[in-house]
Amino acid sequence: MNPILTFIVILIGFYGLATSNNIIKSVFSVTIIESGVILLFLNLGNLEGGAIPILNDQVSYIVDPLPQALMITTIVIGSTVTALALMLCIKIFHHYGTVEWKEVLGRKDVKS
Amino acid sequence: MVDFFQSLTLIEMTAYALQALLIMIAFAIVIHKNNGTIVILIASFSLVTASLYVINNAPDVAIAEVAIGSAIIPLIYVISISRQREFIVLDKAMDDFIIHDNTFTGVGYILLKRFSDFYHLELNITNDPMYYKDTVSRDQVLTEQTNVDLIITKDPQKEDGYVLKGKASNILMSKLEEMVKDYDNIRLIKFKDRDLGE
Repeated sequence: MNPILTFIVILIGFYGLATSNNIIKSVFSVTIIESGVILLFLNLGNLEGGAIPILNDQVSYIVDPLPQALMITTIVIGSTVTALALMLCIKIFHHYGTVEWKEVLGRKDVKS
Repeated sequence: MVDFFQSLTLIEMTAYALQALLIMIAFAIVIHKNNGTIVILIASFSLVTASLYVINNAPDVAIAEVAIGSAIIPLIYVISISRQREFIVLDKAMDDFIIHDNTFTGVGYILLKRFSDFYHLELNITNDPMYYKDTVSRDQVLTEQTNVDLIITKDPQKEDGYVLKGKASNILMSKLEEMVKDYDNIRLIKFKDRDLGE
């Protein structure tokens, strides 16, 4: 595991956020960034030579269980954030009639 | 370079290969245009990340990622993409404007069908009685508070005339206005946005 390769995934997600025209494409990019951040945290907690954090008589040295406990919360909250963002996207379509960023922002300035 | 590869264990080599695959899938998601293809790609992206979590000694996180990331999130995306381009029409007139001789051959239906086919929309005509038990003045509130895009009512001023009502902020309304310009008995009313402070 190389943290630099994981960081490239996060940068690809930011590239998608910056260049996407479609609102749903932006939500996809947020999902990519979230997965990259989770990988980075787990890589930090993965200590050299540590075992899976399930304790018994033989195991004495384990990896850090705190980032793992935090990252389960991140996965669950990330799914709800995705659902909320897509619901807002449907609302935007019914209000502005389009899901392209440029057209939505252009309609906002017109003030009908 | 050869020494570097020979020094790796099997698990480390698998981790590097999976990370290269992860970068390729992420780039494919960013550059693809079709949203339906991206849903499949995001499910495979979640599977690759789940196997990387196992390599990082975190099998509990991997279980949660497989369950949520590659099953529930694609489901949410599929539902929202299929409902994304829906054009909801509320038919308050309830006469042969939409349904003529028990088939969808009315003047209004042909007009709306041609409009929605041209802009790749999914036409959804409803006449739910829950919506129109109130008076005419509620139409603006109805368009603001529900997902209804267009309301069809009878014209009170003209015999055999119809009024189409929609939001002025909707870009599809100005396109529909150009389309109904040729019809004499149909006119279009656009409700302007109201500020809450007024």
